Amino acid sequence: MVHFRFLREAEFFLLVVVLCIFFLFDLLAGSVPVTLSQSLTALFHPSAADPQLAAILFQFRLPKAVTAVMAGAALSVAGLQMQTIFRNPVAGPDILGISSGSSLGVALFVLSAGWIFKGIPLFSMAGSWGIVLAAWLGAGLMMALVVLLAARLRDLMTVLILGILISSAILAVVSVLQYFSSESSLKSFIVWTMGSLGSTTRDQLWVLVPAVMTGLFLAFLSSKFLDAFLLGENYAKSMGMNLRMAYWLTFASTSILAGSVTAFCGPIGFVGIIVPHLARKYFHSSLHSRLIPGTLLLGAVVMLAGDLISQIPGYEVTLPINSVTSLLGIPLVVWIIFQNKKIGAI
Amino acid sequence: MAEDIFIACKDVSIGYRDRTAPAVEVKANIHLRALKGEMVALIGGNGVGKSTLLKTLAGFQPPLSGQLLIHNRPATEFTAAELAREMSFVSTEVVRAARLTVRELVGLGRYPYTDWFGQLTEKDREIIGKAIHDVGLSGYEERLVSRISDGERQRAMIARALAQDTQILVLDEPTAFLDISNKYEIVSILHRLVNQQGKCIIFSTHDLHTALSMADRIWLMLEGEVVEGIPEEIAAQGYFDALFPKNQQLKFDLEKGDFSLNREPIGTVALSANGSDWAMVARVMERLGFATKRVKPVQVPHPINEILKPISPSENKILLGGSSGKGNPLGEIYVTQIKNGWLISYPGFSLEAESLEALCRILKQLMLLPGS
Repeated sequence: MVHFRFLREAEFFLLVVVLCIFFLFDLLAGSVPVTLSQSLTALFHPSAADPQLAAILFQFRLPKAVTAVMAGAALSVAGLQMQTIFRNPVAGPDILGISSGSSLGVALFVLSAGWIFKGIPLFSMAGSWGIVLAAWLGAGLMMALVVLLAARLRDLMTVLILGILISSAILAVVSVLQYFSSESSLKSFIVWTMGSLGSTTRDQLWVLVPAVMTGLFLAFLSSKFLDAFLLGENYAKSMGMNLRMAYWLTFASTSILAGSVTAFCGPIGFVGIIVPHLARKYFHSSLHSRLIPGTLLLGAVVMLAGDLISQIPGYEVTLPINSVTSLLGIPLVVWIIFQNKKIGAI
Repeated sequence: MAEDIFIACKDVSIGYRDRTAPAVEVKANIHLRALKGEMVALIGGNGVGKSTLLKTLAGFQPPLSGQLLIHNRPATEFTAAELAREMSFVSTEVVRAARLTVRELVGLGRYPYTDWFGQLTEKDREIIGKAIHDVGLSGYEERLVSRISDGERQRAMIARALAQDTQILVLDEPTAFLDISNKYEIVSILHRLVNQQGKCIIFSTHDLHTALSMADRIWLMLEGEVVEGIPEEIAAQGYFDALFPKNQQLKFDLEKGDFSLNREPIGTVALSANGSDWAMVARVMERLGFATKRVKPVQVPHPINEILKPISPSENKILLGGSSGKGNPLGEIYVTQIKNGWLISYPGFSLEAESLEALCRILKQLMLLPGS
């Protein structure tokens, strides 16, 4: 059984508290000012609250905050798994092209929906599941491709560069697809590419949350495999690890996690690379029984923070979340590379 | 006896299989054994297939043909999990995990015994503690693997293999990149494990001296064949000379238990010295390229015409040029230990050197003379 002993440790407790505070702040932040007492009333005594405020909270801010938590946790845990599997400190769903793989999946689905799936409105439940499945498939295929390349090449840098190349190629294919698609499906696709944390509807949450939960559950199941992978594939094999099962489990988990988030929020960069490093530093550990729950919590906190920053207080506008994570993330990636001197340690 | 044979290769051929290309055979007709309580040293030149053999033993790649028996059972019948309880492996791979403590690393060795989530029981913790103690790393439990020395890290990797609690340990060059002291440490740890716990340890090495003095059995991989036996037998049968067939100068010295460069001596030194000094000076002569022969102290045949006169090449040119064309160009040199140093005498001149270092310098100069 999974033991939740770690929750009793001070580091975890502190992180949970911070997560709750950030979550509340995320509800308060936005163009319409909401006070703490108003939001608490709306959350716990909906009948006593101002209906307009309640609508803002329940229709917009709560889904957005939940999406931020899901996206942060999912991308970070996917990044952690990829860094361990590829033994590469700068691996992540965006760098190795897993996110663009899911973009391609979504593009194929949305752009072909015009004539193949005529009956399915894109923003219905069935449409959401279709997008998610397409994203999973795209992510899974891309993941398989990267694993094949990594097994053939063994050199970390080469795999990274190929990942970036393939990812550019995929985005080019997506552009070509847009060029040839009908006007109406193109419109839906453009709407999707502008996706952000805030564009997730409450209906879509019913797809996103179970999908991310499934991915996280699979990640928990893979923690022992990932520990063995820390020593490399040969050591893992010599300790009796079922290599095929380990690969399938982490494949499925990372594809579901990265695919689901990309499907609803669009590509969000650098969170998946940065958070595992912060977690290793914060929890002083490389073992995944601690790192997976730790990365999950820290990822949620970081994404909520990113969302808070994106809503510059006092302004009506919201910055795209991808720009915020990139602007904050890239210096941290540089810091990681400098810390390791050379690419090597996870 | 049969149950004591832990590993047996019967007509095994090893190599790499590729789905698209035909299999690449690295070595064929391998017949080898390793017994309970034996330390087996695998020796061979670079690229002869040592790592391939070890990887085949450890189950990373199946033999191309032949039979590999582990505990008298074909290796192919073992599942990965079963094999992990019989055999552990220490490779040359560097562990990249930045924040793994020694205790956590060794704990990973319990992998074949722990539950799905890798939770350690009280018994696991005991075994981990004992493994750390056995390699002499007590007190290092909470140190980070990335922050300890190479020798300590190699010991930690061996402790991880010990925690796997297997009868057979396979190590790929465990002493590579280590200094003499660490090398000795590692080998004596392995030796202790073999003799006190009856384990069977197979390790590859380039250090022939260690292998010959510590191993119970040698697996020698030559270009053509693979031979096995106790070290003394292998050495006596002259197999080591076949280890580097391309280098004719490299000859195995049975007495020293190591290779030495077999060079044509550039001259002979008739050396007289105290019993304890003789061997040392003879070594110096060998290093400089001279053959040494032992003579009585009184024999100084050449007249001492001028002592303490430094050699200048021009002065001795005629003198040395007179030696016969064939054979040793320098002819015979006499070196005699005297009260305050060494006396070097050569037909026609003598010199005194106040120290062994000075003696070396004079001989070096002699070698450089135009006549030689």
